[in-house]
Formats: sequence, structure tokens, C-alpha cells
Amino acid sequence: MLRQVGPFVGEAFGVLADNRTRSFLTILGLIIGVAAVIAIQILGKGMAGAVTGVLGSLNDRSFYLFPNQQQADFTKASFTVADIDKVHAAVPNIVVAFPAGYVARVVTAGHEHARLGISDASDVAFARVPLIFGRNLSHDDVASAAHVCVITNVAFKRLFPAGNDPVGSSLRIGERRYVVIGVEGPPTQGILPIKFGGDISIPYTTYEHDFLRSRPLFAAQFIVADVSQIAQTEAAVKAYLRTLKAGRSEYQTFDRKTFSSSIDGIFAALTLVVTLIGAVSLVVAGIGIMNIMLVSVTERTREIGVRKAIGATSFQVLAQFFIEALLLSLVGCGIGLVIGVGVGWLVDRFALVAISGVVPSLPWLQSIAIAVGFATIVTLVFGTYPAYRAARLDPIEALRYE
Amino acid sequence: MNNGARAVDGPVIAMRDIVKTYKTGTLEVPALRGVSFDLARGEYVAIMGPSGSGKSTLMNLIGCLDRPTSGTYHLDGIDVGTLGDDALAAIRLKKLGFVFQGFNLLARTNALKNVALPLFYAGVGVRERDRRAAAMLGEVGLGDRATHKPSELSGGQQQRVAIARALVNDPAVLLADEPTGNLDSQTSEELMALFLQLNRSGRTIIMVTHDPETARNAERVIRVRDGLVVADESKMRI
Ligand SMILES: Nc1ncnc2c1ncn2[C@@H]1O[C@H](COP(=O)(O)OP(=O)(O)OP(=O)(O)O)[C@@H](O)[C@H]1O
Ligand SMILES: [Mg+2]
Repeated sequence: MLRQVGPFVGEAFGVLADNRTRSFLTILGLIIGVAAVIAIQILGKGMAGAVTGVLGSLNDRSFYLFPNQQQADFTKASFTVADIDKVHAAVPNIVVAFPAGYVARVVTAGHEHARLGISDASDVAFARVPLIFGRNLSHDDVASAAHVCVITNVAFKRLFPAGNDPVGSSLRIGERRYVVIGVEGPPTQGILPIKFGGDISIPYTTYEHDFLRSRPLFAAQFIVADVSQIAQTEAAVKAYLRTLKAGRSEYQTFDRKTFSSSIDGIFAALTLVVTLIGAVSLVVAGIGIMNIMLVSVTERTREIGVRKAIGATSFQVLAQFFIEALLLSLVGCGIGLVIGVGVGWLVDRFALVAISGVVPSLPWLQSIAIAVGFATIVTLVFGTYPAYRAARLDPIEALRYE
Repeated sequence: MNNGARAVDGPVIAMRDIVKTYKTGTLEVPALRGVSFDLARGEYVAIMGPSGSGKSTLMNLIGCLDRPTSGTYHLDGIDVGTLGDDALAAIRLKKLGFVFQGFNLLARTNALKNVALPLFYAGVGVRERDRRAAAMLGEVGLGDRATHKPSELSGGQQQRVAIARALVNDPAVLLADEPTGNLDSQTSEELMALFLQLNRSGRTIIMVTHDPETARNAERVIRVRDGLVVADESKMRI
């Protein structure tokens, strides 16, 4: 059978080459459809990589606590540092619990000053960006409420534009001075505009004293000892705090898992949309090919009659038209593949990489599989009928056809 | 040179009581109403008769493009009525060569490839195809036109290409339905000479024609009227 079909490829190629313009217009839809799907696939991969980058900076062992936003009087659900300490004492599996605070202030270093975010941190392992200078907060820093800080690369660039090692120099915020003990490197990954914490991290004990005083709290962060128990710990914290508030306030927690599952949800929806677009373009392109093939069969009715009169079997006529459709599809999907990979690569390279620093690997095999899959499906679904019509033609009637 | 080893000696075509009735809706059109004749190898027969008498219908049956409503047809010893569609296609490919009034060449394909087409369906390799097609084109006097497309050839030349195509698989019978119908008298004359030459070199030829001039070279004339053979006369060539 293969030996029978083989020579038809050359025949079909000749026919298509003789009708170059029409052949090209026929496969234009397929080209666009395949290119779009593959480009979106590649972009999706790039985006997913970038988002995973962001998630990498969120620690598995930590979670945030907030008042539930849906309740009637949100402000009544605020809590205090003392409340947090009570929770810490009552609920097992908590290593540290401290307010999640953030304030924006003008920060001065020598002659440079900038308005920056100040937030509190603990010495316990929140995942960190690698430091380019100095060290992270230590247990002693927290225990003694030291006036020290770790600054991000953003703060470093604005406050120390010369780029010298600033460890040991001090920053002024209001009347207070904080000795720089560490500088973070530039973030290596991540494009989502989600930032946990400010540009200047100080021990949470220091923060409570300098910025919080008796102000009400609306967020706290917790670090657990046993990650496998994090869900139970979150539930226990919420329950305890509600009891503490005599059942009048509701709380919610937020950890990496809930965050990534909401991201997963977004991506699942995106994938579905892309799949639908792909399916629609496949159908549209396929109908285009079927239409042209049917026109071609009608136009070449006489030719088909001649071929049959000469002695071509129905199968040979079927093979001829089927292979023409297959060639059209393959060429269309091939061009679409090249364009799709090209566009995806360009956007990845010059947009995503610039923002996230992540260079995604091109999913070549997957793209080729998509293209060949498209071509085969389109041909099978939309090429078979015209080929069948051609094969079934009665030679006498076909010969009489004008 | 041709008509090599055949399965059976005896008539190359044997038709018995062939009836063909076309059904268009409820209407039944009797195109052939019981036609019987034999054709010996090497004969040159003209089928003549008025328009609508059933000549093309008969040719389509002889050419295995259609099946009779009743009656038997043996071609080269084979009972064609028992064959399936693919076997009929194989018969058309190997044992029959068709020449049409309207030439029916593939327009985008050059003369050589047109002639080679039956060889392609017969599964002959491309080199051998081209070699045999070129030889056949030489035989019909178009050896120098191999790369011309049909639009670059005169009507007479196109019909020669069609004849070469019909003969390239060395068929038992060459069938021609009004082969000169689209040609002027001068060109028809030339084509008649070619048919005569082919017959003299051993080809069996059946030709449908209106024109007594065209039938002149045939050694036998079968006259058809209203779906019946009304005369079957052998004659000396004029
Ligand atoms: N496919 C068909 N369906 C119905 N009737 C048909 C069909 N083909 C032929 N006929 C009828 O059969 C009869 C014989 O037709 P045929 O074509 O064999 O005549 P012909 O002798 O070849 O005529 P002409 O010299 O005009 O070509 C005619 O009455 C014609 O109308
Ligand atoms: Mg006729």
C-alpha cells in the first residue's frame, strides 16, 4: 500500500505547485491557527516560569493572617501584638508570629534620600534573595530589637548610587538611625507585581517599638515548624483568634499553597481558552481546506473521469486527493510552526526575559507535535470527504462533465 | 510487435444479447436492446448510426466503463460481468485503450507525462515510464513534442498524444468514440492514416463515427439503430 501511495506524493506536489496562489490561500487559515496556538503555548510556558519565579520567594513554612474582608465591620477585627503573642503561646507548631507591618517613609543615607517601604521581618527562614553584601537578620537582632536593617537591591541603588559596600553605614528614618547589615542582590526571577515586604527590613521587635506602638494590626505572619501540619495550624490560629474576639470577627489565612492554587486556576482557565481558540481555528482552517478540496474535485471532475477511464482504481483516486489535502495541511502547519515558534521566541526573549530574567527553553518537540497533530486531524476530518467524493465519481458522468 | 501472449485464442470481444436500459426517475430509456457480435484480434471496425442510436452506450460497455443491464460480455476470454470495480479498473488499465472526441488530456501536464499516466497507475517506475512514453510518442509522430503542454499543441497533435496514452499499456483493443469529431478534415485525414497504420501493425481498433469518410479505412462496419445492430458488413478497404 505504501508503494502504491508513494508516487502520489510527487503527483500531488505537482498539482499544488501548479496552483500556487490558491494553495497558499487555502492554508493561510491553518498557518495562522497553528502559529497562534504554538506562540501562545510558548508564551504560556514563559509566563508559568516567571510566576514560579515569584512563588520561589514565598516560603513554604509561612502564612499570613488577615481579618476576613467580607465581614460587616472590618476595622473591629483588628488585633494587637499581644493578641499575636497569645496565639503563638496557645497554638502548637508555630516558630514565630509577628505583625506584618509596612510603612512608607523618607529614608536618608548621607546626601541621598528616597521614599521607601519599611517592613518587619524575623530571623527565621523566610526564603530570601541572596545577599551581595553583609548578612541577614539574626536571632540576637530580633531579641535585642536592634536598630539594624537589610535593604533590597532597589533601596541600595537609590541610596548608595556609587555602589560601594554600605554595610556599617547607617540610614536615617525620621529621627532614628538603622545600621545596614545586609544588601540583597537583584531579584533573579519573578514578573508578577506582587511584593511581600518593603525595601527595608528591620527586626519585627524593633518595628513594633518604632512604628507600631499601639496602632491596630490588620495582618500577621507566622512561620511553622512542621510544614505538613500548616493547614491545621492555620485553622487553629483562625479558631483561636475568633474565640479571642468572642466570635464577632472572622479571619482568613493565606499561604503559598493557596496562592499557587489560585495561580494554577488562572492558568487552567488560560489553557482552556487557548485550547478553544485552537479548536476553533482548526475547524475554520479545516473547513477552508475542505471547501477548496471540494472545489478542486468539482473543477477536476473531467480529469477524474479520465483517470478512471484510463484505469485508475477508486483507491488510487482517493489516495491522490487525500495526499493533496495532507500535503496542503503539512505545509500549512509547517509554516505555522516556524512562525509560531519565531513569534513565541521573540516575545519570550525580548519581553519576558527582560522582566523576569528567566530564559524559558523552547518546547520544540511539543510544538512539532502540535503542528503535525493539527495537520493530521485536519486532513483526516476535512480531507477525507472530498477525496471520497472524487473516488466515488462515476467515470462516464465525470467524462461528460463540462 | 504488440498483442503479445493472450490468455485465450478466439474473439477478443464477444458480446451476447447486451441490453442497456437507463433509468431516469420513473422513466426507462432503452439505449441498447439486445446487441450481439464478435470481434477478432486485429480487426478494424467502425460503429455507425444516427445520433441517439446507442453507439456511445455500446462503447462505454465495451470499454468497461459501465455494466450492461443484461447480457454477457467476454473480453479476451474474461467474463467481464463477474468482475468487481477494481478488477474492471485493471481491465481498463491493461486491456483497453480509450480515445475520446474531446482528447481529455490533463491540461497542466506535458505530453510525455500524459502518455505515461497509465504506466503510473500500473505501478511502473518513473524511468521506465518516461522511456516507454517517449517511445510511444515517437510511434504517433510526436517524438519532438514531449515537453509541450496540451495548450501548446494543435488539436490533431493533442489527439495523437491521447492515442499514444491509450496505447502505452499495450491494450488488446483500442476504442475511439468520434476521435475526429473535433478536428478539421485535413487533420482527420492524417489521423485516419495513423489509425490505419496502427491497425496494419496489428492493433485491434473499434471506432465510432458518423462520417463515412472516416469509416472508409475500416474493414468492417457495424450499423446501429434504436439500440439494435441493423447491419454488420465486412468490406474491402477502399
Ligand atoms: N446517462 C444516461 N441517462 C439516461 N439516458 C441516457 C444516458 N446516456 C444515454 N442515454 C440515452 O440513451 C440513448 C443512446 O445514447 P448514446 O449516447 O449511446 O447515443 P449515440 O449513438 O452515442 O449518439 P451520438 O451520436 O449523438 O453521440 C439516447 O436516447 C440517450 O438519450
Ligand atoms: Mg455518442
